[in-house]
Amino acid sequence: MAEYEWTLPDVGEGIHEAEIVKWRVAPGTQVKAEDPILEIQTDKATVEIPSPVEGRVEELLVQEGAMVRVGTPVIRFEVGKGEQNPSAAPVGRSPGTAEPEPSASRRRVLATPAVRKLARELGVDIHEIQGSGEHGRVLAEDVRAWQVRRDVKVTAPAVPPPSADIRGASSEEGTGEQRIPLRGTRRAIAEHMVRAMYTAPHVTTMDEVEVSELVALREQLKATAAARQVHLTYLPFIIKAAVSALKRFPYLNASFDDERQEIVLKSRYHIGMAVDDEEGLVVPVIRDADRLSLWELASAIQELSQRAHERRLTRDELTGSTFTITNYGSFGGQYATPVINYPEVAILGTGRIQKKAVVLENDEIVARPVMSVTLTFDHRVVDGGTAGRFLNQVMRYLHAPLELFMEMT
Amino acid sequence: MNPLEEFPLIQVLNEEGQLVGDRSQISDDQLTEFLRWFTVLRTLDQRAWNLQRQGRIGTYPPFSGQEATQVGVAAALSPEDWLCGSYRDWAALIYRGVPLFYPLLSSMGHPAAGYLPDAVQALPVQVVIAAQILHAVGLAWAAKLQGQARVAVSLFGDGATSQGDFHEALNLASVMSAPTVFVCQNNRWAISVPIERQMHSQTVAQRAVAYNIEGLRVDGNDILAVYQTMKRVVERVRAGQGPVLVEAVTYRLGAHTTADDPTRYRPRDLDERLRQGEPLARLRRYLLAHGIVSDEEVAQMEEEAKALVDEAVRQAEAFPPSPPESVFDHVYGELTPQLREQRAEMARRVSSGEPGGGRRG
Repeated sequence: MAEYEWTLPDVGEGIHEAEIVKWRVAPGTQVKAEDPILEIQTDKATVEIPSPVEGRVEELLVQEGAMVRVGTPVIRFEVGKGEQNPSAAPVGRSPGTAEPEPSASRRRVLATPAVRKLARELGVDIHEIQGSGEHGRVLAEDVRAWQVRRDVKVTAPAVPPPSADIRGASSEEGTGEQRIPLRGTRRAIAEHMVRAMYTAPHVTTMDEVEVSELVALREQLKATAAARQVHLTYLPFIIKAAVSALKRFPYLNASFDDERQEIVLKSRYHIGMAVDDEEGLVVPVIRDADRLSLWELASAIQELSQRAHERRLTRDELTGSTFTITNYGSFGGQYATPVINYPEVAILGTGRIQKKAVVLENDEIVARPVMSVTLTFDHRVVDGGTAGRFLNQVMRYLHAPLELFMEMT
Repeated sequence: MNPLEEFPLIQVLNEEGQLVGDRSQISDDQLTEFLRWFTVLRTLDQRAWNLQRQGRIGTYPPFSGQEATQVGVAAALSPEDWLCGSYRDWAALIYRGVPLFYPLLSSMGHPAAGYLPDAVQALPVQVVIAAQILHAVGLAWAAKLQGQARVAVSLFGDGATSQGDFHEALNLASVMSAPTVFVCQNNRWAISVPIERQMHSQTVAQRAVAYNIEGLRVDGNDILAVYQTMKRVVERVRAGQGPVLVEAVTYRLGAHTTADDPTRYRPRDLDERLRQGEPLARLRRYLLAHGIVSDEEVAQMEEEAKALVDEAVRQAEAFPPSPPESVFDHVYGELTPQLREQRAEMARRVSSGEPGGGRRG
């Protein structure tokens, strides 16, 4: 048997580095040539890498999330004699192979992925640990023991921090802090939020709406939904309410063109829905939401959420929204001040439905389900009066969903 | 004038693989042979994509989806006819006799890929957009002046029709009555620019009207339509009836090149719809439905294709590497003094391992 080490090539035209997004294999995986082994992301595209050889994966040399320079070894295979790296490595032929990252030449550590993960979680640099296992393999107890020793040293004089680690998170020894590089989805979110927040003057208005009819209606439809194999949430109703209200208040279904200093009123209703994912926030878009039935909306929501969690949304599905809805109630909040999905001009937020004391016309106090709603708007485009009237209209539909049916085309 | 009526789409095999026209000029055996070629070409194209991802070749422009046009055009030519294609036209060149490993060698940046075998009457692939359209006119005009019964065919994309070269070529060919066939592979996107954003005309074919030559629109994913149309066109042009512009409406299944991500600019639903009519699946469906080939034969074709492509990869990777300083060798017959100096300096750096010398091999 022989070894084959594969180094990151220029997968585009003049790419210098790429982010390791997802390994599709683990140490021990048997692969055939052309089997997918890895997904990486360059500044241009997400790219799937097919295995260059047939063999067994011996070690993954970089972790998910790492930013890796072209020319860095990233995976090692055990292969048949015919497939070991020839003296002139195949990568030598591809243009633009750069010098390997200096840190890549650091001591190679033997450890299982679980142990590496543990080390990452504890903010421990696995390279600094002397393993007690066979051939110096680092075991979970080595990582924990090292962490204890490190934390004991906290009171000792500060030591210089290790240089930033290409393998992802690094810990600053002694401070107990962990430093996470800003990458991928997180970086995109950060940039987008800063731009939105510091470009559009945000104002948020809030209210509560009594939704017993809506709750009853959804209850009533649950059996049909189950038969249709659709998961029926409140979101389709919220989208319908928002779209119907947007038709009356066109300035909220709009965008702000900074360059030309123009307000762009949209004639179509593409609704972005904020989806919370472990990778971070993504906003898939339901196109022409006004032309979809409630069932179609429910299916679209279900499909887009699933694709979002599988990270399989195409760019087309992530762009072009004209108005965005965030249901922060799904993770428990009652009130929030959402940030506008710039360059749109408003975002509707809906909170968790919970029972509250409601005062009826006859001064009787009863317990009823109540949903909180918030609307953040760009004050350059929309004024408080318009925003308030729009939100009232949305609330009206949520309070009396039958009115929605009267609006349907 | 309604261009869509004036230039109706010629189709023989529809998107579902059903016969909707006359196929009298083409035998079952020939169709089976086309399927065999499509299978080899598709396998090669997909492998080339992977090889780039693995770092074994450089930038590669895939042709998947355009095999029917390229093979149909090449098959309609006589051996002495000229073929002038672009970087995406390896399928046509391979059908004409260029070995399978050439596109791989080309994407490795090897100068040998610029020498096509002598037996193949074709120019090396052209990377400058639309330049080969003019080259074809020159070759055709020369053939006419020398009294040869040869035609020259140029393959180019929809993006190339926005270049001045395209219009100059059509103008010159029409004025000189040079025996040229202009084949536009309209795959609807010029890298990321959709056709409706780069031309106001409804069809490419209608541009023939301005030059008073014949224009035709053919389903470029339908090998029967392309082959039979091209057969007629080539004979007419050879007989001295003037140049012809053929618009082959096709679809690039993949990216513009390995450096491109088409999901960023092609709507998913449109992409899914357009891939329905792709040439390989369409022909296979027809041949299977009519018992012209069996599932076993198709599987065997795929096996054979894989073996041929494996061999092509081996040949390309075993090809003796070209020294970096050979970049100086193929422009001037005799180097200028400055270039001679630079060549020597580069060779010195390469052998001493100094920076700026590049890598050997």
